[in-house]
Amino acid sequence: MQDHLLSWITFIPMIGMALILLVPKTSTGAVKTISLIATGIPLVLSTWLYFGLFDKASAEYQLEEKFEWIAALGVNYHVGVDGLSLALVFLTTLLLFIAVPASFGIQKSQKAYYALLLLLEVGILGVFVSLDYFLFYVFWEIMLLPMYFLIGIWGGPRREYAAIKFFLYTLAGSVLMLVALVALRLDSGTFSIPGMVALAQQGQLTGESLPGGGSLLGMQFTTWVFWFLFIGFAIKVPVFPFHTWLPDAHVQAPTPISVILAGILLKLGGYGMLRACFPIVPDAFNHFAYALGVLGVISIVYGAYVALGQTDFKRMVAYSSVSHMGYVLLGMAALTTWGMSGAALQMFNHGTSSAVLFLVVGVIYDRAHHRDLNGFGGLSQVMPRYWALTTLGFFAALGLPGLAGFISEAMTLVGAYDAPDPRFKVLVLISVLGIVITAAFLLWAMQRVFLGTLNEKYKNYGDINAREIFCQAPLLFLCVILGILPHYLLDWMGPSVEKLVGLLKMGAGG
Amino acid sequence: MDAYLTQMASIAPELVLTGLAMLVLVWDLVTKGRNSNQIAYLTLVGLAVVGYMLLGQWQELGAEGSHTVFAMVTIDRFGTFFKLFTVGSLAAVVLFVLSDRREKKNHIGEYYFLLLGAAIGIFFMVSTSNLLLMMLGLELLSLASYSLAGFHKGDRRSAEAAMKYVVFGGLSAGIMLYGISLLYGLTGSIDLIEMGTADGSAWPLGLVTQFQTSPVPVAVAVVLVLAGFAYKVSVVPFHWWTPDVYEGAPTPVTTFLAVASKAAGFAVLIRFTGALFMAEGMQASVAEYGHRIGLMLALLSAVTMTIGNLAALRQASLKRMLAYSSVAHAGYVLMGLAAMSTGGFSAALFYLAAYYFMNLGAFGFLLFFEGVTGSEKIETLRGLGWKAPLIGITMVAFLVSLTGLPPTVGFYGKLRLFYEVIDADLMWLAVVAGLNSVISLFYYFRVARELFLRENESARDVKPQPLFTGFLVVLGVATVYFGLQTGALESWSRDSAASLELAESLESAQR
Repeated sequence: MQDHLLSWITFIPMIGMALILLVPKTSTGAVKTISLIATGIPLVLSTWLYFGLFDKASAEYQLEEKFEWIAALGVNYHVGVDGLSLALVFLTTLLLFIAVPASFGIQKSQKAYYALLLLLEVGILGVFVSLDYFLFYVFWEIMLLPMYFLIGIWGGPRREYAAIKFFLYTLAGSVLMLVALVALRLDSGTFSIPGMVALAQQGQLTGESLPGGGSLLGMQFTTWVFWFLFIGFAIKVPVFPFHTWLPDAHVQAPTPISVILAGILLKLGGYGMLRACFPIVPDAFNHFAYALGVLGVISIVYGAYVALGQTDFKRMVAYSSVSHMGYVLLGMAALTTWGMSGAALQMFNHGTSSAVLFLVVGVIYDRAHHRDLNGFGGLSQVMPRYWALTTLGFFAALGLPGLAGFISEAMTLVGAYDAPDPRFKVLVLISVLGIVITAAFLLWAMQRVFLGTLNEKYKNYGDINAREIFCQAPLLFLCVILGILPHYLLDWMGPSVEKLVGLLKMGAGG
Repeated sequence: MDAYLTQMASIAPELVLTGLAMLVLVWDLVTKGRNSNQIAYLTLVGLAVVGYMLLGQWQELGAEGSHTVFAMVTIDRFGTFFKLFTVGSLAAVVLFVLSDRREKKNHIGEYYFLLLGAAIGIFFMVSTSNLLLMMLGLELLSLASYSLAGFHKGDRRSAEAAMKYVVFGGLSAGIMLYGISLLYGLTGSIDLIEMGTADGSAWPLGLVTQFQTSPVPVAVAVVLVLAGFAYKVSVVPFHWWTPDVYEGAPTPVTTFLAVASKAAGFAVLIRFTGALFMAEGMQASVAEYGHRIGLMLALLSAVTMTIGNLAALRQASLKRMLAYSSVAHAGYVLMGLAAMSTGGFSAALFYLAAYYFMNLGAFGFLLFFEGVTGSEKIETLRGLGWKAPLIGITMVAFLVSLTGLPPTVGFYGKLRLFYEVIDADLMWLAVVAGLNSVISLFYYFRVARELFLRENESARDVKPQPLFTGFLVVLGVATVYFGLQTGALESWSRDSAASLELAESLESAQR
């Protein structure tokens, strides 16, 4: 088991999927039980991995598995984790496990729903553990299909539009990635991600062995490869101006799928940049770092500003994700240890806090069947426990000191202020505006929904129930505990982050 | 005499196939067409025998062996690859005819005869470098296809399809023959290998010499011949017949045209460009022209896939959509040719093999649902995925593969093509092809949308066809399996391309 732990974690949900397909359509109880078990075991295993097996002092890939897959192109099945991916593997298994009970309200074609959910988990986990670019890409694309159907079948009124938009945007990004990937393979002779990074460190991955020097339409090899990869990941993050699929997908998706989308799928973009874009073309990254920082700041401020104008609760939360993921890009672009750690931490923390926010929206939507922020009022009187949990979630999201979001945002900004490029100081100053606006829209939403006079229509609402609390509690716990004891993540990520920063800086010739 | 018999042994599969065609015709005559299903089974058995013989031939040939019999027929793995491909698609088409709920069960014996006739044509056209035999094979295929397209004599659309096909086909055959006669006049040979390798000291003259002395007529001749082939594989701007013929012809015939006939067209296209521009040792002297041809093919490829995909976007009929999609796929396969390298050719072969599984599957799905709904309109599929989940999910696998997403064989095929064009300094073509798959996603997934995303309480129950469904599921499983385990198809395509014994690439002599 221990030898193939990562494979087990990745593929146990697939076994669950196969079992679900064998169960008759009518026995929905069995389907739910299988889903709980098939997401529960990976959670247990990844927890064991996190606290037991993983050597947090090492920056190397651990628990590697490698064997030949496609000989003709030199593709290997190669998986492994370092501090960066480990945290996200844990987050994935946790959120997927939460997504199952959060889906119990769904009545339509449950068998297909849970089967697709489990397939989605396989794709996500596969991306996080892959160390072979081909394998990475395969998992990356495998995610799209279940997501398309999950949004498209179980989503809201405009689900078809949202589903295909999500699919088209992501695919547009990933075909660019594929072209860059094939070019990299031709130049480097390997699909191995660590192998490509090593070559890049020696300054060899510059397209010189390709015909025509590997240039495309007059662009240098490293330049276009960088942008192709970056855009592929940026669409997923999503970075302004590639974010327009996100509000549609979020709003139309059913609550548990929004949770997964915001909690994990967006992280894939950020993770992809760290793992499979920046260190492979470090020179181009250094060259364009400031541009990325600018994009990050635009996302922060613009996302928050648009969120301020939303009347749909879920749409507001969706735009807040754009804003929060902007910190990730800003922190990475700063190219300092603090910035990079902050970015990695922010990815995890946004994973928990945005998941809570979407669960919060789900709770109220299940009761009122609408999400109009102006249509509520005074709910704190009838749903006090719900109000308390929501408040905690909101504060975590707006970065209140003592909660997780504060640490990561502060680290990001400090790291960015410290950046070797002095222009980043200006960016930090502007992005502070984002923090203010975020606080504004969250508090304003809180005021409109929970305070004021109670809307008569809602006076009979029951408070949040045990199942809903069960879904939110572990995430809120993480928001609190990581706000006080962030080293429970930082110690694990630290060595990998420092190694990464070293790689990127060396690439700059510094 | 002995030598003659040995030579006959090399074309044994062709002989058996011809015998089978005769037998089918006579059997139909004797039984007065009373039980055409019997004939279908007879055809299947015959095809199995031919397939077995071809596999034996494949083994016997070895990696790079090829020999010529009767000074005309080249026996190599490249040809055998396409013959196996043809036998495989023909068997599927026969199954389609058997499962076609809208087809008569009697008095259709000549259906099978015509299909076998077309296959004989393909067998000869893919295994020769002699332009005369190539032309004859092509014409045999075409004549059989014309009649097949108009097989439903009472159906106006079918008649229209046949008529269009004849007119366009006749025109393109004329153009091609003109090109061939020019080539013959310029070189004094009708054999491609001779044209590609002769050094020019005496007749027959090689193309190398002719390019130096009179490049314009040679270029005109080459382009005219290419135009004829381009018509067969429906490359833009020679694709106009495709949607109408595909739509009007009976669905099994459409399948045959889209899969077997198209592959055969690519076989001659590859043999032609390969023999003329990439003959081992000569490629450097004609490299300048080779590059131009490659660039021309690259442009055709980009235009073909883009126009095919854009036109497919707006189709309401699934059959017409698949017709345009087959145009787009011709564009993808052309990428491999545009690379002008043995690796590129093998990538094209791999993609054709991938295309076999996913396109047969998609057409099989079309046939299945025509039998259920009596219509080709995509919107009539509404909600049917929930009524027939197995076949619906299988179709999604085909759609995923046609779009080119992992983990399917279509993805790996596209990856191979990208690899080869980037290696041939055609990076932009890979980008164009990538963006094209994004466009294609939109229309392919309209089918998935109707099947699963939309509900239809009144959807009629789907009458099961267990055998046919089983066949489609096998194709679906193969589509995914070969996407994960590419080894077999990979070595088949590489061996086939290697048996052409061409230069690795246009520059390989200088490297």
